Amino acid sequence: MSSLLLQGYATSLQIFAITLVGAIPLGVPIALGRLSRIRPLSLLCQLFISIMRGTPLMLQMFAVFFVPYYMFGVQTGPGYMFVAVMLAFVVNYAAYFAEIYRSGIQSMPQGQYEAAEVLGYSKGQTFLRIILPQVVKRILPSMGNEVVTLVKDTSLAFSIGLAEMFTSARALVASQRTMVPFVLAAVIYWITCLLIELVMRRVEKRMGYYHD
Amino acid sequence: MTRTELRGIPQPDQSFASFMGLPAVYLRGAKKSFGEKEVLRDVSLLINKGEVVSIIGPSGAGKSTLLRCLTLLDRFDAGELAYGNVSVAKQEAAHALYDDAAMQLARMRFGIVFQNFNLFPHYTVMQNLTDAPMVVQGRQREEVEVQARELMERLGLSEHADKVPCELSGGQQQRVAIARALCMRPQIIYFDEATSALDPRLTADMHALIRELAADGMAVGIVTHEMGFAREVSDRVLFLFDGQIVEEGSPDQVMESPKDARTRDFLSRTLD
Repeated sequence: MSSLLLQGYATSLQIFAITLVGAIPLGVPIALGRLSRIRPLSLLCQLFISIMRGTPLMLQMFAVFFVPYYMFGVQTGPGYMFVAVMLAFVVNYAAYFAEIYRSGIQSMPQGQYEAAEVLGYSKGQTFLRIILPQVVKRILPSMGNEVVTLVKDTSLAFSIGLAEMFTSARALVASQRTMVPFVLAAVIYWITCLLIELVMRRVEKRMGYYHD
Repeated sequence: MTRTELRGIPQPDQSFASFMGLPAVYLRGAKKSFGEKEVLRDVSLLINKGEVVSIIGPSGAGKSTLLRCLTLLDRFDAGELAYGNVSVAKQEAAHALYDDAAMQLARMRFGIVFQNFNLFPHYTVMQNLTDAPMVVQGRQREEVEVQARELMERLGLSEHADKVPCELSGGQQQRVAIARALCMRPQIIYFDEATSALDPRLTADMHALIRELAADGMAVGIVTHEMGFAREVSDRVLFLFDGQIVEEGSPDQVMESPKDARTRDFLSRTLD
């Protein structure tokens, strides 16, 4: 029983890790595009963020899963299921992260940009050296929130038939006629989130060497 | 000097030679409007090496706009602006024509101490001083750190090198801002309200420091509405009123026997 749960947990962790690795960087260009003075680009990014946040992740997952067949008539192999889940998760979470980045960037006082400009920093140098490090500190609490949500959102992959932890737990509950697998799964989800909270607290503490 | 010559980094000796004798900053016929509102109308000024010049005037006279345009955070609509031999903006057909490469060169020639300092809070004092010289000017860390330590020593910041700005008092933060500007080796340094954050003793220190900088050949431009400080520290005072310089002269002359009625009116309200 536990080996099946742990197998599922491994898949959940995979979804979790790949989403973070993909969405954290992908959110940056989306946030910058959203803040861009080029109006069409900004509107496009706004629209993208709005759709990603305004439609269910589960629906997005299925959409990505069915697009190759219904739109292009391409038969997909069994491996595509995982790819579809990952695409949907990365893109969806990138939209949420982009909004967090945007609010962080907009919260920076104008004086920081002006000080950098007068010292001759280029736009890129100003962003990377002056703005970004301060934004990271400012958005840590919201990011922690989102990461914890992601742990639990991995269970959505169950709906498409991917064998992550909740899928295993449900199968075990049905075949063995006991609630124990659900309890175990809940405990594992919870401990995972607890660990993340601990890590976030440490990172926040490390960034707490200054305040503005 | 042609515009194409400005695009490259100038030879240090040539640049120095041609700089001798030129004012640190030269501004002629500057105009600036925001929509219908004319904020600056035909402002001309120059500040020489070793000279302390204060720009005084009531709120809304255009002091902040003038300083923002002088530090290239904003642009004049019309007028000519030069830092030493670097011609930043030329007057062409009633408009100020800016040269981007010259603007970047000019940024190496002036520094500014903002009213609220705008230090980089995530950097230590040492990093605040050394980051721009290394990243922007491409100077070697060792050389910049030597200079930074000298500046910190001179400004009484040595024991704070590894602290971050939030651990320092307002007066100390201001000295970090001054050191950060000086570490770029500018030829002119601007102060936006040099003493508004300081108590009387620190104000006296600031007076001494500014005179010291001037004695070393630095040009100093102070934008302030604090008459007392401007009078004591300046070699020359410009009185800005409604976007125009209506009075210019030695502090005593401007403050004791102003020629312009508007200056008299303003001074009678503020000095007593």
